[in-house]
Amino acid sequence: MKSATLGKGQSLKTFLNGVWRDHPIFSMILGICSALAVSNKVENAIAMGAGVTFVLLATGLLIAMLRRLIPTRVRMITYMIIIATFVIVVDRVLKALFPDISQAIGPYVGLIITNCIIMGRAEAFYIQNKIGQSLIDALANGFGYTYTLVSVAVVRELLGFGTILGFQVMPEGFTKWVVMAMAPGAFFVLAIFIWIGRSLAGMEAE
Amino acid sequence: MKDKILMIVFVLALGSILTAALVAVNYLTTPVIEKNEEIATKSSILKALSISFEPDQVEETFANKVKQRQRNGTTYYVAEDGNIAFPYSGSGLWGPIEGIVAIQPNFQTLEGVTISRQEETPGLGSRITEPQYLAQFEGKRFAEGLKLVQPGRSSADNQIDSITGATMTSEAFVKILNENIEETVPEIRQGESR
Repeated sequence: MKSATLGKGQSLKTFLNGVWRDHPIFSMILGICSALAVSNKVENAIAMGAGVTFVLLATGLLIAMLRRLIPTRVRMITYMIIIATFVIVVDRVLKALFPDISQAIGPYVGLIITNCIIMGRAEAFYIQNKIGQSLIDALANGFGYTYTLVSVAVVRELLGFGTILGFQVMPEGFTKWVVMAMAPGAFFVLAIFIWIGRSLAGMEAE
Repeated sequence: MKDKILMIVFVLALGSILTAALVAVNYLTTPVIEKNEEIATKSSILKALSISFEPDQVEETFANKVKQRQRNGTTYYVAEDGNIAFPYSGSGLWGPIEGIVAIQPNFQTLEGVTISRQEETPGLGSRITEPQYLAQFEGKRFAEGLKLVQPGRSSADNQIDSITGATMTSEAFVKILNENIEETVPEIRQGESR
């Protein structure tokens, strides 16, 4: 018999796994493509993080609800249809309400469909767990993805543009590190973050 | 057999429901998105014509100060002071570059250039969208074609500075402007001289 406290402990464990132990970027190296591409400005990183979190939550809810109905042989295509639907919703809503951000992150919103975090969590977690646990897992993974993206973006925007969220932070004569605004800068910063994250979590390379 | 039929029914049902949801979202957002795009184009035209405006009054300012005209399928926009703006487009280094270019009533010099769409290298080619870069086009003579020179070397009134590290984009941009001006300005000239 499951007691209430055990349920709570389970929820906490699910959440901590998502934001730290099984962190999608540090631990599983998933979702790297988009993390590299849209972490050049904090604003874009927040929008992308929110988009991925929303898609994770919506997908988690629907897959956990349908988990007994989804035929095993077509589960992958089912995930794909569900994820694609919510990604298109995010894309349209961004275009309608935040046209500037939509233009800045452009094609990467559509590429949330191929973000392995969502596919990975669907297969590893939502298909086997109850709605509540799935939503907590979605929130944790979304949060884990978002805070990593935003931390990388803070470093890149500060050095690449001299600003944070568009506000000038660096002094007037500051020489912008153009490489930080471009893809190579993302590789450097993300690699350093993964290194720090893994060292702190005490993970060993396999 | 029964499994297979159930599988197909499941996929079809899920697909239909989700498609219906998408149709609804599309129906709700399309008018807003079109409105956003229209405002973006109008503010781009106002900027090219050097008309100052409040960000929330693009529509009103545009309606009061700019007239839209047509000539042989070319749409162009005339401001109160006679400046004329028209859209341009062409291929940059990585993707299309689109925007608005405005000329002065003498049909000889540029009034302003704006960019509304580009996919150039971030931090290098994308610097063509920086106001400081676009500002140099103001007052340049385009009648004999704009000419690209090395960064900081422009001296004659038809010369444009290129961007360090983004030569290909700079070249493509000036070429796009020259081609569009050459094609569109004679049309507008005919339209206006009637």
